[in-house]
Formats: sequence, structure tokens, C-alpha cells
Amino acid sequence: MNQEIYLVGLNHKTAGVDIRERFALSDCDPVATGLVGDTGAVSEAMILSTCNRVEFLVVGDSDADIRARVLRFWADHCGQPQGDLENHTYCHTGDRAVDHLFTVAASLDSMILGEPQILGQLKTAYRNAVEKGAAKVIVNRLLHKAFSVAKRVRTETAIASSAVSISYAAVELARKIFSDLTNHRALLIGAGEMAELAATHLLSAGVRDITVVNRTLARAEELARQFNGRPMPFEDLHQALLETDIVISSTGSPTAIIRAKDMKEVLRQRRNRPIFFIDIAVPRDIDPDINVLDNVYLYDIDDLKEVVEENLAGRQQEAGKARGIVAEEVGAFMRWRDGLALQPTIVALLDQGERIARKELRKSIKQLGPDPDPQMVAVLERLAKSLCHKIYHEPISYLKRRSQEEGSAQRFIHNARRMFNLDEETVPEEAHLDRKGGGQ
Amino acid sequence: MTASRLFDLLIALLYLTGSITYPLGLVLRRAFLKRIAVWTSVAAFALHTVDLAVRFIEIGAVNLQQGQFYMSLLAWFFVLVFFVLWSRLKHDFLAMITAPLALVLFSSSLAVRTQVLAIPEHFSALWFSLHVGTIFVSLGLITMAFGAGVAYLHLEKIIKTKAKMPGFSKDLPSLETFDRANHWAVSVGFPLYTISLMSGFLWASFTWKRVISWDPKELISIVIWTLFAALFHQRTALGWRGRKPAKTAIVLFVLCLVSMVGVNFLLPTHHSFRP
Repeated sequence: MNQEIYLVGLNHKTAGVDIRERFALSDCDPVATGLVGDTGAVSEAMILSTCNRVEFLVVGDSDADIRARVLRFWADHCGQPQGDLENHTYCHTGDRAVDHLFTVAASLDSMILGEPQILGQLKTAYRNAVEKGAAKVIVNRLLHKAFSVAKRVRTETAIASSAVSISYAAVELARKIFSDLTNHRALLIGAGEMAELAATHLLSAGVRDITVVNRTLARAEELARQFNGRPMPFEDLHQALLETDIVISSTGSPTAIIRAKDMKEVLRQRRNRPIFFIDIAVPRDIDPDINVLDNVYLYDIDDLKEVVEENLAGRQQEAGKARGIVAEEVGAFMRWRDGLALQPTIVALLDQGERIARKELRKSIKQLGPDPDPQMVAVLERLAKSLCHKIYHEPISYLKRRSQEEGSAQRFIHNARRMFNLDEETVPEEAHLDRKGGGQ
Repeated sequence: MTASRLFDLLIALLYLTGSITYPLGLVLRRAFLKRIAVWTSVAAFALHTVDLAVRFIEIGAVNLQQGQFYMSLLAWFFVLVFFVLWSRLKHDFLAMITAPLALVLFSSSLAVRTQVLAIPEHFSALWFSLHVGTIFVSLGLITMAFGAGVAYLHLEKIIKTKAKMPGFSKDLPSLETFDRANHWAVSVGFPLYTISLMSGFLWASFTWKRVISWDPKELISIVIWTLFAALFHQRTALGWRGRKPAKTAIVLFVLCLVSMVGVNFLLPTHHSFRP
């Protein structure tokens, strides 16, 4: 029996939201529902279900029709006709399945390229599979690798380093102007969805507090309560500009409420401490000329939109680099997978033994002095070699016996490889996950 | 001699590695390259310290009239000031300017022919080390302010013109950080520069019985001091921030370079390193 990796699923590109919501699979236990079993064709499974995708990662018999089996299970579980699934699903096998998983983990298949949520969702899905006992040798290894690929992509490319929403772009800009937002206060003039969103982002980025100024004081007080800030009447705007460093403005005023010539006086009183204006209002609240003044920075809604568009284009560019990383790691994974055969493992074991024997032999010969007796050296050589072969004899014949048995071969070979550290790897961060029992 | 030459080359090579790997790490977004840059700079600094100590033992005294030793010590001080600032500002963009500067100064120290300047008599060691020690630290600070000033103007231009931010600039720290580097350099550097200048003139008045001898080095130092004083005043009393102090610091640094390289090596002066 040959084991193969399958990936069956649908995502936001292949299926509309009506299909996605009908076939969502939150909280599905592949073991209890009989998808994974000791005797069935499917030996391992993990189910990832988010609002943009539902995917089955399955390890199963390459002779059985895994795709049909998964689709039947899926449709039955959701109580929907299987025919509705057929045209919206994809099925990848082998290295293409691995490639798809890594691509998803690196957030290259997401609706918003590089968004970070998918990794958390994947971790939850994996944890569920581990706790239900549906993840074994291959899924374990596959997911550990997927997490490390995601990490590599994040650190080695700029795919997730730029803001792709207007309110977040404003926060990123504030970070470029001020070194530590906790020392700075924000001012909200007027109200509006986007302004409030930007204020929320600023607060979570650590800004010290938020002052709210509004034409109607009651509205200011209401907003101030929402942000745990302080309200100020509109007449005190000048005073508010002296006390705050980041100003978000979105009033309905038809004319500018802050003009360049007023700003000069404000700046003098501020002793040139920098101030950052974010003008979300249309028509604009803030005289564009103030951007010319030193230590004053002004971004209006169009400027911010442009930043976001550039960042999105930048992510597209970085995605190419990220795909290179994914391809590299798929190659590495497939090499490991091929190594799970018996013959290469035996060769690797004996190689390792002989390497150790030779190394120790050199050390011992050195201890015999500068001019060792050749007969003695020959005896030592024989001793080292036969010790190595004798010690490795039992594990190897055990592996040979076990590999005759159905299904368990890979597990034993994998364990042997790990026990003797044949792949010379460090323990991955999430390694503890596969040792955690259920019931958590 | 060859052994010490090799040792010098090794130090220069390490500074060179630091100078190349840091910007490379920034552009290629590889953290390990930046780490390599920092560690090679640390290693270069350690070897440099040993090198200076050996020379000190060889000569038997801190011989600052010798051009090679002077430049080498100056490079060493730069790296030292960098480490101190680094612990304060917590940003390794400083590595980007420090390693190349240390490299330039150190290799120019190698190029300087060993030539000992005739020292005027009655040169009090304490007086003299005050004169040179303060100028070293303040030159280091001016250099930092220069680097921070260039970065400030670059980043400010991008933010003001709303230009596309290349990957390199994304890793730069904030404008405020650069401005704080300038603040540090000015508020610590100016008093030190003043001490250095005063000690020089006082010494001259004791030894040569005249405060000023219209020497080129004296003149350019007074020009630098005047500009530095203006910057100090504007920053501390009038609250200058950002662009103007950044630009002034750049001019200040260029004047210092002219003073150090141009005057000391090319013009006849009692600070001359000319062979």
C-alpha cells in the first residue's frame, strides 16, 4: 500500500459565498465521524475551515479514490447534495498538495495577500487534528514545515510589512514620524466611521490618549466616553492643537478649519514639536499649504489611498519572492518524504555508524602515541567496524520485520530516523503539539 | 613590523565587512547579515583596542602628535561613541555610518607615514589629553549628527512629498529618533568642543604667551565653534527641531572634515601631521 498526500477543498476563488457557507465545516472531528480509521483508506486528516476556504488535508491510500471519498464525506456531513461541490473543488496530490498547503500558510492564497490571520486559523485546525488523533507522522511534519515556511516568508520578504487599509496606513505613517506613540496624544476633530477606526488603531498602537473636539459638545462627550478620552468644546481647538501631536480631522465643514497662518502661531507655541495631520474629510478640513511648514505633516484621504495602493502593489511584488521560498521548501519536504522508505534509512543508519566509528578510531589512534604499532591499529579498526555493525544490526532487522506489516512501516521508519537523528534537524517550535493528548 | 601590518589589515578588513554587510542586510532584509555587521564591528573594535595598547607600549606614551596614532585613536573613539549612543537610542542604523567611518579613519591612519611631529616643550600631558579627549568625543557626536541628519532629510522628503517608500526606507527609524540623535550630539558635543578649544587657547597663552597665532587650524576651529554655538543656541533656547538642525549638523561635519583632513595634512600649521 502506498501512502499519498491529498489536498481537497474550495476557496474564495473557486466558490461563491453561498457555496462556502453551505459547506463550512467548523468543529468536525475526522476520527469520530469515521473519515480517519485504522482500517480505512484514509490514515491522517486535517480540516481547515475559514470564511474564505474549506480544505481537507488527507494522507491516504494512493489506490483508493480519495477525492470521491472526501467529497462524499463532506457533502454528507453538511447535509448538502454532493453535486454542488463537484464544480467548485480542487484536488491536489503529492508535491502539488504540499505546495498548496505552504502557499496557504504563507498567506499567498489569501484574499488580501499577506494577511496574518490564516496562520492562526491553520494552527487551530492543526491543534484540533492533533487532539482528535487524526494527525500522525506526515501531517505533523507537514504542518511544522508549513509554519516554518510562513515564518520564513514573513521575515525574508516584505509581504506583510506594509499597511493595506487607510486607517492602518495612517498609524504606520505616525510611526515614521514619532518614535514612541506612548508619548504622544491624538486629537479627533469631528466624527465618522473612518476617523473613529483610525482612532481605534492609534489607541491599540499605544497612543497616550485621545482628545475629542466637536461642534456639538454632547457628541464630543459621547465619543470621548467611547475612546476613554476627554471632550473639548470646538472653541478650544487652538488649545487642543497645542496639547496633541496626531490630529485626525473629519468634520462636515465646507471650508478649512485649520489654516496655514494659524498654524505658524501654533507651531511657535509648540516650540516646533512635530505635528501630524490626517485629513479624512471631503471637502478638506485642513489647508493643504500647512504641509510646507517645517515639522508639520499632512496627509489627506487621497494621499492615504495612494499609500495603500502602493503597498498592495508592493505585496504583489514580494509574493514572487515568497513563491520561491515555498517551492524550495516543497522540494525539501518531498526529499524527506522519499527518505521514509526502508532502503535509504538503512543506508543512512550504517553511514552514521561508520562515521562515528571512524571518528572515535582516529581519536584512539592518536592516544597510542606518535608512532603506533600497525598491528594494534588494525585490531582497533576491526573492533570499531564490527561494533558498529553489531549495534546497528538489531534495529535494522527490527525495521525490516516491521516494514512487512501494513500501515505501520512509516511510523517505525520515521521514529528510527528521529531517534538516530538521521535528518539532522532541530526540534521545531510547535513540536510539542503532536505530543499533547486530547482533552484540552 | 609585518606582523603588526597584518594585524592592521585584519582590523581594516573587519571594519570593511561591517560596512558592507549592514547595508546589504537592510536591502536584502536579512537579519543575520545585520548581526554579522554588528559582530564584526565589535570584533574589529576589540582588535583595534589591542592594537592601540600594543602601540602605546611600543611608543611608551600616548603620542598624539603622531598622525597614525591620532587617526587610529580617533577611529577607535568613533566606535566607542557609537556603542554608547547605540545603547541610548536602541537603533542599529548607527552601525551604517560608524563602520564605514571607522574604516576610512583607520585606513587613512595606515596610509599616514610614521612621522613624529616636534612637540613644543612644557606640554602638560593632562592639559593635552583634555584638549584631545574632548575634541574626539565631540567629533564623534558631530559625525553621528551628520549621519542622523542625512537620514532625517531623506525620510522627511519622502514623507513630505508623499513619495513611494522604497524597502530600504521602510526599515529606517522615525524622524523623532533622528532628531533626538541631533539633540544629543548638540547638547553634549558643543560643551565638549568648547572645552577643547578653550584648553587649547589657554595652553597657548601660558606657553607661547599669546592666545592666538592666526594659525589655519585655529581659524577654522573658531568658525566651527561659532556655527556650533549658533546651533546650540537655536536648539536649546529657540526650540529648533527637525530640518534646520539636521542641515546645520551636515555643514558642521563637512567643516570638521575640512579641518581634520585639509588643514592638518595640507596646510602649514602647528597641528600638522605632514611628514
